[in-house]
Amino acid sequence: MNIKINGEYYKGEDGETLLELAKRNNIDIPSLCYKKGFEGLGRCRLCLVEVNDNGKTQTVSSCIYPIKDGIEVFTNTERIRKMRKDIILLLSLRAPNNEFINELAKEYDVQAPSRYLNPDEKENCILCGLCVEACEKLGTNAISLVGRGTTKAVSTPYDDASKDCIGCGACADVCPTGAISLIDIDGKRTIWNRTFNLVKCSICGKYYTTEDALEFIDEKLGIENQEHICQSCNKRLISKKFYL
Amino acid sequence: MAKNKDNDNSSTISIIKKYPMEQRYTLPILQDIQNEYGFIPRDAMVLISDYLLLPISNVYSMATFYKALSLKPKGKYTIKICDGTACHIRGSQSIKEEIEKMLNIQSGETTEDGLFSIETVNCLGACALAPVMMINGKYYGSLTKEKVKVIINKFKEGEIDE
Amino acid sequence: MSNFHNESRKILVCCGTGCLANGSYQVYEKFKKILHNNPNITIEPSIKTTGCNGLCEKGPVVKILPDQISYFKVSVDDVDQIVDETIVQGKIIDRLLYFDTNSKKRIRDHNDASFYKHQHKIALRNTGEIDPLHIEDYLERDGYKALKKVLFEMTPKDVISEIEKSNLRGRGGAGFPTGIKWRTCSNFDDFPKYVVCNGDEGDPGAFMDRSILEGDPNTIIEGMIICGYAIKSNKGFLYIRDEYELARKNMQVAIDNARKFGFLGQNILGSSFDFDLEIIRGGGAFVCGESSALMASIEGHVGEPRAKYIRSVERGLWNKPTVLNNVETWANIPPIIINGSEWFKSIGSEGNSGTKVFSLVGKVKNTGLVEIPMGTKLNELIFQIGGGLIKDRPFKAVQTGGPSGGCIPKEHLDIALDFESLNSIGSMMGSGGVIVMDDTTCMVELARYYMEFLAGESCGKCTTCREGINTMLQILKNITAGKGQLDDIDLLLQLGETIKEGSLCALGKTAPNPVLTTIKYFKDEYIDHIVNKKCSAGVCKNLTTYYIESDLCIGCGICSKKCPVDAISGILKEPHLINQDICIKCGDCFIACPSGAIKIGGANYEY
Repeated sequence: MNIKINGEYYKGEDGETLLELAKRNNIDIPSLCYKKGFEGLGRCRLCLVEVNDNGKTQTVSSCIYPIKDGIEVFTNTERIRKMRKDIILLLSLRAPNNEFINELAKEYDVQAPSRYLNPDEKENCILCGLCVEACEKLGTNAISLVGRGTTKAVSTPYDDASKDCIGCGACADVCPTGAISLIDIDGKRTIWNRTFNLVKCSICGKYYTTEDALEFIDEKLGIENQEHICQSCNKRLISKKFYL
Repeated sequence: MAKNKDNDNSSTISIIKKYPMEQRYTLPILQDIQNEYGFIPRDAMVLISDYLLLPISNVYSMATFYKALSLKPKGKYTIKICDGTACHIRGSQSIKEEIEKMLNIQSGETTEDGLFSIETVNCLGACALAPVMMINGKYYGSLTKEKVKVIINKFKEGEIDE
Repeated sequence: MSNFHNESRKILVCCGTGCLANGSYQVYEKFKKILHNNPNITIEPSIKTTGCNGLCEKGPVVKILPDQISYFKVSVDDVDQIVDETIVQGKIIDRLLYFDTNSKKRIRDHNDASFYKHQHKIALRNTGEIDPLHIEDYLERDGYKALKKVLFEMTPKDVISEIEKSNLRGRGGAGFPTGIKWRTCSNFDDFPKYVVCNGDEGDPGAFMDRSILEGDPNTIIEGMIICGYAIKSNKGFLYIRDEYELARKNMQVAIDNARKFGFLGQNILGSSFDFDLEIIRGGGAFVCGESSALMASIEGHVGEPRAKYIRSVERGLWNKPTVLNNVETWANIPPIIINGSEWFKSIGSEGNSGTKVFSLVGKVKNTGLVEIPMGTKLNELIFQIGGGLIKDRPFKAVQTGGPSGGCIPKEHLDIALDFESLNSIGSMMGSGGVIVMDDTTCMVELARYYMEFLAGESCGKCTTCREGINTMLQILKNITAGKGQLDDIDLLLQLGETIKEGSLCALGKTAPNPVLTTIKYFKDEYIDHIVNKKCSAGVCKNLTTYYIESDLCIGCGICSKKCPVDAISGILKEPHLINQDICIKCGDCFIACPSGAIKIGGANYEY
C-alpha cells in the first residue's frame, strides 16, 4: 500500500506499524519505548504523529498504529513539535538527574521550570516497559509492572531476589535510560537484589553471562552443556565458516 | 473477615480449586482470598501462580493494581470513607479528620490492636446520602461529626457485631 | 379517606442501597410481622421490597398501592401507626408525606411532586415499583415481551435496523450511536462474538447504574439477549463494580430466575437461539470503566487500556468482535423494541432521542435520580426539579460528566442537556452526574480534588496521563496552599493541551477538562489565590480568614456556641470577635450566622 508521509509516498507492508515504516525509510520520529524486534508498546508517547484518514485528522502513537492505504501522515507539525517538548518536559520533571533524559531535553531545547525540579530526585526509570517485555519474551518473567498511577514501578515480587531471574541482563540491555543496576565484579553479577556466578568464554577467557542463563538456554533449546562461547567469539567463528 | 492464616495451606487450596485453571479467574481467586484472610498472603500468591501456570510476577502485578486487594492485613473493621465529589463538597474531609482523630491513625493505616483500618475511597454510589462511609460492607449516610462519634464508639464497645 | 378495604393492598418498601443504609430492611420486617395474621385486616396486603426510588435522602421510602400514598423517612417506629391508620382506617399520615419545597405543600402521591412530575421514566420504569428478585413482577410489566417479539417476529437485521432508527446513543458517556455499533460488529465474520455490560460506574456522584442493576436487573438481561441475537453472539458478561455487592447479588438471582423460565440458556423459548450470561466482579479500579481496560480485566490482566485504532467491535474480548454498552443503554432496549423506534424518537430532542437519567447531587435541595427527556434545560433540572439550592445560597457552578467533564457557570444555566450542547461549552454528558455547587465551593480546590482522584486512578501506562496529571496536581496543590505563581496558570493550560491530545485512552484525554474549564470560567479565582493569597469560598485554609464585621453583628452569640474550639468571644447584644490564633477555619460560624456578619478574607487579612 502507498502511504504519504510529509508530502512523499512510501510503500508499506500489510501489518506494519507507522513507526516501523518510518524507520525503514530513515524518517525521523523520536521514541523511547520502541525497540526493534519487540512489538510497539505505546507507553512513552514520544512517537506521536498526525494522521489524516479520509478527511479526519487524529494524533496517534506511530509505534502501535497499523498503516492503512490512503492515509496522509505529518511527523513534524507545530502541534507535534509542541507535544514532543511537553512530553520531554514531563519526563525531565520525573527524572531530572538522568543523563539520557537531560541529553534529550537539550536536543529538543526543553527546560523544566526550576521551582518544580527536585534536585535530590534519584528516579531514573521512565516506565517505558521495555525491560518487562524483554524479560517476558527472552527471559523468565521475573519482573513486572507493579502498582498503578504514580506509584507504578518495575520490580520483582516484594522487591525480593527472584527465584525466576537468571541474571541474563536483557532488561538492562534494552533500558533507554540506564535505570537498571547491573554490576559485574570478580566473576559475580548482581542484579535485582540477587548475585549470580558468571561464566568465562572458553575462547577469549572473558566473563560473559551467568550460569543460570546458560542453564535456561540449554533447557529451552533442549541441549546439554553447550559450549561456553561469548557473543563476539561466536561471531568470529561463524564468519570464519563463511570465509572457508 | 480476617481469619488466621492456615498453616498447611489447605483452606487456601480449597478456595483456589473452586475455579477452572484459566488466567481469567486470577482476579476472582484473589478476591476470594482477600475475603477470607483480609489480605493476600505470600503463600497464597505462590499457590495461585502454580495453579494457573502464571509467573508469580504476573499475580503480584494483579494484586498491586486492584485496590480491592491488599498485601497487608486490614483491621477487623474496615472503615471506607467516601470522598466522591458529592460527599467531598458535603464535608467528607472533616468526617475523615474526625475519625482519624478518634482512632489516632491516618487514612491507609490500621490501629495497633488490629481493630480498625481507615481507607478513603472514591464514590460508593450513595451520593444522595452524602457524606457516606462504609464499615465492613454496611453503609452509614448523612454523616455529621456527632453521628460518626456515636457509630465508631459503638464499634469500639463491641455493641455492633459484623 | 381511602376506600380500598376490600381490595388487596401492596406495600412497597424501598431496599436500594441508600434506603438500606437508613434502616429500610428493618421497616420491611416490621411490616411483615405486624401484618401477619392481623385480626383487623380482612385481606392481607402483599409486602414487597423494591429497588431504588431515586430519592435516597428522604428514605426509607414506603409506597402503598392502590391508594397511591407515598411515605418518606419512615422509621421502624412509624410502622405501627401506618398499619393502624392508613392500612386499617384508610387515613393519611401527613407528617410522613413528601414535602414539596417549590409549592410548600405536602403531597400524597409522590408522582405529583415537582421532583417526580417532570420525569419520564423509561430506563427507570420498573425501579422502585417491583421486587427485583421476583421475575413475575417484571413479567407483569411487559417483561420479556420484547425478547419474544425479537425471537419470533424479527430477524437479526430487523433488530439492528430498529435500534439504528431509534437513534439511541450510548448512555455511558461518549454517546456513540448504539445501532451503528451493533451493525458494525455484526458485519465481521469472526466468531465467537461477545456482549458486555459496563457496570463499572465509577464517576463520583453517579449512582443511576447502581439503581438499575439493583432494582431492575431483568431489563439489562433482556437487552443483552436481544443484542446477542442481533449480532449472533451466545455469551455475555456483566462487569459490575467491586463496591456494588447488592447489585451483583440481585443480578445473580435474576439470572438464575431467567434461566429457570427459559429466557437464558440453550434453545431459548424453543427458538434454537442459545445465550447465557456471567457476572464479573470489578477489582476497584476506576480506569476499568474504560472499555478496553474493562475487557483486559475480564481476560485476567491488569486494567490497562489499549489504543483504539482497531475498535472493540472488530477486535475486543480475546480479540473477537464485541459489543460493549452501558447499563442505562441496555435498559432502553426492551422498551424500544416493544414501542418502536418512532416512539423513542418522539421523546427528547433532534439527534438526541429518548431520556437520560441524571443523578442530581450536591448543594441542591432535592438530591436523587432524575430521568428526563434529552434536551431539557439545565436550569429546569436544578431549580424546578431540584428545588433550587440548599438554604437558597447563590448558585456558582455545576459539574457534569464527573472527572472527565467540565464545570458549567451561571451564564450557561440555560444550556440544553444533550450531547452536543454540553460538548460545545467544554463539558460533557458523561454518565449523567450533575453536581451542584454554591458559593462555598472553591473552584481551584475542586480542580485539585479531581486531579488527586485521577492521579490515584490513572493506570500509569502512558507518560502524558501519568506524569501530566501528577504535575498538574502538584501545581494545583501549590496554588491552594498559597505558593502559586501566575506562570502556573499558563503551565496548566500548556500541559493540559498535550495531555488531552497525547494520551492513550479517554481517562487521560479528558483528565484536563476540570482544570481547563475552571480556568476558563473562574480565572479570577485562580488569580485571587495566586496574587491576593485569598480563597473567597473559605475552603483553602491557608488563604482564608474568618472575621466578624462589627457593624452587621447583632451579638446573638450563635456563632460562639457553634464554634468547636471556643475561638469566638463576646457579650450578648455586643459585636463578637474571632480569635485568629485559635480559629481552625472550619466555617461553621459563617454558615450559622443569621445576619451575614461573618465575612471571609484572604490569608493576610488584617482588621
